[in-house]
Amino acid sequence: MAKALELLGLSKAFDGNRVLHLASLEIEWGEVHALLGENGAGKSTIMNIANGVYAADAGEIRVDGRKVDISGPSDATSLGLGMVHQHFKLVKRFSVAENILLSCRRQLSITSVGEAALAVAAKGAEVGFPVKPDAVVGELSIAEQQRVEILKVLLLGAKIVILDEPTAVLTEEESGSVLSFVRNLALHGHAVVLITHKLREVIGYSDRVTVMRYGKTVLKGATANEQTAESLAMHMVGEHMPEIKPLKRQPGEERLVVERLSVSCLNGGVGVNQVNLSVRSGEILGIAGVGGNGQQELMDCLTGLRACSEGIIRLNGRNVTFASVAIRRNGGLRAIPSDRFGSGLVGNMPVFENLGMTRTTSGHYGRGIFFSRARMRQEAEKALAEYGILGATPITPTRLLSGGNAQKLLLARELEEGASILVAHSPTRGLDVRACNAVHTTIRDAVERGAACLLISEDLEEILGLSTRVAVMSHGRIVGEFSVGEATREVIGKLMLGHA
Amino acid sequence: MTVQFIINWIATTPQFALPLLLACVGLIISERAGILNLGAEGFMAVGALTAVIVSHDFGTPWWGLVAGIVAGTGLALLFGIAVVVFRTEQVLSGLTVVALGAGITGVAGRSYMHQTVKGIDKLDLGFLAKLPAVGKILFVQDPIVYIGVAIVVGLWWFLYRSSLGLQLRAVGEDPATADVAGVDVAAYRISAVLVSGALCGLSGAYLSVVSSQVWVEGMIAGRGWIAVALVIFARWNPLRAVFGAILFGGADALTPRLLAIGADVPVYLMNMLPYAVTLMVLIAPTVLKREVSAEPTALGTVYLRQDRH
Amino acid sequence: MLENVVLTRRHYVPWRLRVRNFTGGIASGLVIAFAILVAAGVSPGAIVNEFIVQVFLNSRGLAQTVTTATPLIMVGLGAAAALKLRFWNIGVGGQVWLGALGSTWIAINDIGPPEMRLPLMLAVSVVAGSAWIAIPVFFKLRYGVNEIIMTLLLEYIAFRLVQHLVFGPWQDPNTSFPVSEHLDSIERLGRLGWGNAHSGIWIALGAGVLMWLLMERSRFGYYAEAIGLNPVTAKGTGLPVTLTIVLAVLLSGGLAGLAGGTIVAGAEYRLTQFLGQGYTFSAIVIAFIARFRPIPIVITAFVIAGIFTAGETLKVFYSLSEAIVILIESVILFSVLVSEFFSSFRIRVLKTAPAK
Repeated sequence: MAKALELLGLSKAFDGNRVLHLASLEIEWGEVHALLGENGAGKSTIMNIANGVYAADAGEIRVDGRKVDISGPSDATSLGLGMVHQHFKLVKRFSVAENILLSCRRQLSITSVGEAALAVAAKGAEVGFPVKPDAVVGELSIAEQQRVEILKVLLLGAKIVILDEPTAVLTEEESGSVLSFVRNLALHGHAVVLITHKLREVIGYSDRVTVMRYGKTVLKGATANEQTAESLAMHMVGEHMPEIKPLKRQPGEERLVVERLSVSCLNGGVGVNQVNLSVRSGEILGIAGVGGNGQQELMDCLTGLRACSEGIIRLNGRNVTFASVAIRRNGGLRAIPSDRFGSGLVGNMPVFENLGMTRTTSGHYGRGIFFSRARMRQEAEKALAEYGILGATPITPTRLLSGGNAQKLLLARELEEGASILVAHSPTRGLDVRACNAVHTTIRDAVERGAACLLISEDLEEILGLSTRVAVMSHGRIVGEFSVGEATREVIGKLMLGHA
Repeated sequence: MTVQFIINWIATTPQFALPLLLACVGLIISERAGILNLGAEGFMAVGALTAVIVSHDFGTPWWGLVAGIVAGTGLALLFGIAVVVFRTEQVLSGLTVVALGAGITGVAGRSYMHQTVKGIDKLDLGFLAKLPAVGKILFVQDPIVYIGVAIVVGLWWFLYRSSLGLQLRAVGEDPATADVAGVDVAAYRISAVLVSGALCGLSGAYLSVVSSQVWVEGMIAGRGWIAVALVIFARWNPLRAVFGAILFGGADALTPRLLAIGADVPVYLMNMLPYAVTLMVLIAPTVLKREVSAEPTALGTVYLRQDRH
Repeated sequence: MLENVVLTRRHYVPWRLRVRNFTGGIASGLVIAFAILVAAGVSPGAIVNEFIVQVFLNSRGLAQTVTTATPLIMVGLGAAAALKLRFWNIGVGGQVWLGALGSTWIAINDIGPPEMRLPLMLAVSVVAGSAWIAIPVFFKLRYGVNEIIMTLLLEYIAFRLVQHLVFGPWQDPNTSFPVSEHLDSIERLGRLGWGNAHSGIWIALGAGVLMWLLMERSRFGYYAEAIGLNPVTAKGTGLPVTLTIVLAVLLSGGLAGLAGGTIVAGAEYRLTQFLGQGYTFSAIVIAFIARFRPIPIVITAFVIAGIFTAGETLKVFYSLSEAIVILIESVILFSVLVSEFFSSFRIRVLKTAPAK
């Protein structure tokens, strides 16, 4: 029998940046095929080529044994390829039925919202995913939205179903549910591609696995043969990464204290609800939780970008609840936002202007209207060397930096003199293992030297690996707090869902 | 302020409200597709002048209106290609198109200044027109008013009740999703811009051929901008736009009425009224209550499939 | 559409490419403008004569260009100050009107001692312009009201306010024209003995130097650049965002007001019906083409002033509406806007036809 999908020798570069190099993938019918690789390995890119979103620079695609040309998403859909993206392709303001009408109008030959509602309800009943056709997508939970995406893909007649990091935004329980569903699809003859970087999922749910690294496919084989996580990890990263040494320092005085903090959300959704926290020097408090449970609001309120509706924030004993951003920074608060280019850096400014930005208000580069760019440039030169940021000069436009280097830049800036509390939100999002390691080491070293760190992250591995204490955030509240030894995935998973 | 005065005032409001309504609904279609369209004033200007030229040279006001529609659509095509294909900055492009409109009409319209043209008579709907009060208000309007209302209702139905309208709104909310769903984002956007050009052209043509029956440089006098403000007030909904247009049209209609009864009013101060009312209406909702914005999510953005989403 | 053609965004735009495309944009704009003028009945020789020789290479013409450039420099600087921070001050003309109004008010009411009269007039014109733009910036920062429409509506209101005054309370009793009384001699900016050029040009050039220092060499300029490029980051790193925006925008209105003041005190010597017309779009064209940088703004303003001067001649000798100037400006700006496309994006034509 012909293979379901063959991607042979695909190469792709984004504006000179080579992302795929002669990568190949062969998917059989009726199997769950894991596509494993760390961030930046090229997994999403190669599947987006299959899906018609990107065009390959070179290579061949075969569906069910026949050579095909895919020039757009419609071609992919008509060939039976369906992808559930990480960022769902759903219009949040429309209802479920309206989204189905939008996406499936041709395949289902429907012209009205009513017909779409019937179709999606029927499919939902068929596969055991209950769905409310009139619900507005933006008001559904992430797991519910994902179910709508999957139903949509099935309604489009997809025989080859691709899921891009489906469990990245789900709790443990929801993840299990989706992965079991996906195995079921394979049993019914579909070909399923599971893009993931989570080794346990590969081992637990896939039949065969392809590992990618730096845009190349480096390993292909039956999962059973590559049972150990060790071996898979080796192929993913290409080398053994040293483990982060645990902190030796004893916790000192309280640096950050938050009492009964409540922050309302702009669109009326869940904000922060009566949160109490305390972080001491020498410790890392990790806030675990699925995104959208108030983490961004908490971050914005702590840094001074959003006002709270009630509560108190104390930095090194000082009440800063109503203080400006500048005052909090002077008091020792530093922040690593989750969107490094959107909120942390100015992409179109050169590196040195970004590095020095936080010291301009104190008059370090000149008081009044005076300003010494020369001094900023010199200090940037030193910082680049000290933090090992390679391939960038002080005058390089910051947006040209890789994710890893940009994050190192952010850390270099934030951890300069006077940093006593670091609030970091998803600091390793989108970074490859080496960069992750560098970021974690930098944070750990800063804490070892006496800083306190509040680490907010959706990546449970990161939380468990780096923190000294762990708290779980769900629906704006802190629903559990443990030292890192006590915390287990199961307990945390249940807390994230809201069970005690 | 007698009752008669008020009746006359309300009766003349539709002819002031209609151009605002048409332009506004045109802009709503464009913005619903995600294109921030500030070119209304320009489309209206070329529509107004072209309508006068055709009307004057051929003596046919109806063909003048058609010519106005074509002219507005033509300028809109230029704008559409710029912002959709060349992905130029939408605010600046809109301003440039307004200036282009002012420039073209200033130069080409020089020989047509102050030349009156034949207008379009109001309809006489027999006994309906003779009804007290209501008759004068609702049933003695020029035919374009009725056509205009029909167009607005039709566009409302299109936007909210048809599959094509759903696709258009999807382009304005989330073009990446629409693209994956097989909707031709560029085609919808350009079409929406062309529709806005057509409606603004008709609006301008109405102003010159029906309302004042003459071309004067600068006669649009900011009504295109009021229409832009009206879009926000209408929360991007054609039916709400009707209320807004009546409100502003009423303000616009007041000064001539007062002059007609011989009231001694400071003309230029009174002329500020429509703009001042527009300002109030812009400010009031945000000051009084923080509502969730009804703005199309992807308004003003550039869409490129290859951008990482 | 056009499935064969694939568009990708350029990550890194080489400097040479940017310059080449910009020049190409300006050049094609000029070519199209040239064609329009020819179509309007002006011979090519006359075009070159009027637009280059008569306005820059001829003493009287150059003097006229300098006079016209005086307020254009200031509105260009003013527009750039706000636009750089992405505050869309589209109502520059309104602030010019208010500035003209303010200085006229001081003059016709003879406020202040004679030696201080002129400086007071100019100072009040700055304050009036700033006050006019303070309204939209307040509502933008406090309530998030769209400043594009607000500044523009205020321009329409300002124009009508001036009409009311020159047709009414401020009308010169000796004439039936809508103009105010003449300014006394102490209230006038001195002539330079060169055509109509007046000492307002020194004010304009001085403003250019000050803005260069402020925007390119001072801390304020650094803040302004950061805020314009990424206001979220600027807030998060503790930069004084609100203060910078307010100051920059008030400066924008003040410069425009000053332009109005110098027109009244230097060129017209009274408030007239149309002295503030046409500055808004010109200011935006100048500011944008000069990429918001003060020295290029001064140069661009001179070029635009040349176009205006030529336009005046065309109006008289070729019966062309003065709208020809705004037509030329908009054609050039349009070309420049479109040319940016070729810097930001890369076009690839796929060799394989799409499969069906």
